[in-house]
Amino acid sequence: MSDLLTSMVAASSGMEAQSSRLRLVSENLANVDTPGFRRKTISFEEVHRQGDARAVATGKIFLSEAELERVYDPAHPMAGEDGFHDGSNVDLMIEIADAREARRTYEANLRMFDQSRGMINGLFDLLRR
Amino acid sequence: MAHSLARHASTRQALVTDNIANADTPRFKAKDVRPFADIYQAPGTDLPRPHFIPASTRPGHTSGVELASGGAGLPGMEALEITKVGASSTSGNTVSLEDQMVRGAEAKITHDMALGVMRKSMEMLRATLGRRG
Repeated sequence: MSDLLTSMVAASSGMEAQSSRLRLVSENLANVDTPGFRRKTISFEEVHRQGDARAVATGKIFLSEAELERVYDPAHPMAGEDGFHDGSNVDLMIEIADAREARRTYEANLRMFDQSRGMINGLFDLLRR
Repeated sequence: MAHSLARHASTRQALVTDNIANADTPRFKAKDVRPFADIYQAPGTDLPRPHFIPASTRPGHTSGVELASGGAGLPGMEALEITKVGASSTSGNTVSLEDQMVRGAEAKITHDMALGVMRKSMEMLRATLGRRG
């Protein structure tokens, strides 16, 4: 039974990690047109500590080192003498793919949470009779 | 035996959940336990595993299997890394969500089966007590 409770905590840590990843994806998407914005990514780390039932934890947030897009817009207040200014380095396609992956893993975690709960319920049904 | 099977299934469920939670963690290796049939050892026998002997009536048969090391788990129930072709990604992660779903469903079915056996034995005990339910 404690294994099942542990697995529920593990599944919830997985959902938590995926939702913080999804939050960063939305932040990136919201800032796709912000000049000078760098794409944010989060790291996932396996948890090994004794007494901590979580399976995964989120680590540091990183800013993408990728080249900023150069946007030609001479009317822009930030444009230089050549008419270009820095855009963001957010790629919509990458963000959407990332969001899909996060969602898929989130659902898998949710299903495992539900299944562990079902198994605990089965155990309780046995006692209730 | 039903007790051990239920415990095996719940340990397996815990590992599968762990794997799924870490489905996107770089360098994480998927884990699972050995199949129950390979590690089950009938109590009171020293036969090498895997050697399955169905328990027959003997003292203590209602208490089920005595688990080794103070009930901490069956011997041999430590987590092993799964090697599955094609599951590893560029980040060094070897979790395949589909594979884990199958393993999770197996754990659930086995757990249900073990609980069914436990329920039947409880009903038999109740029948000997002379009243139903």
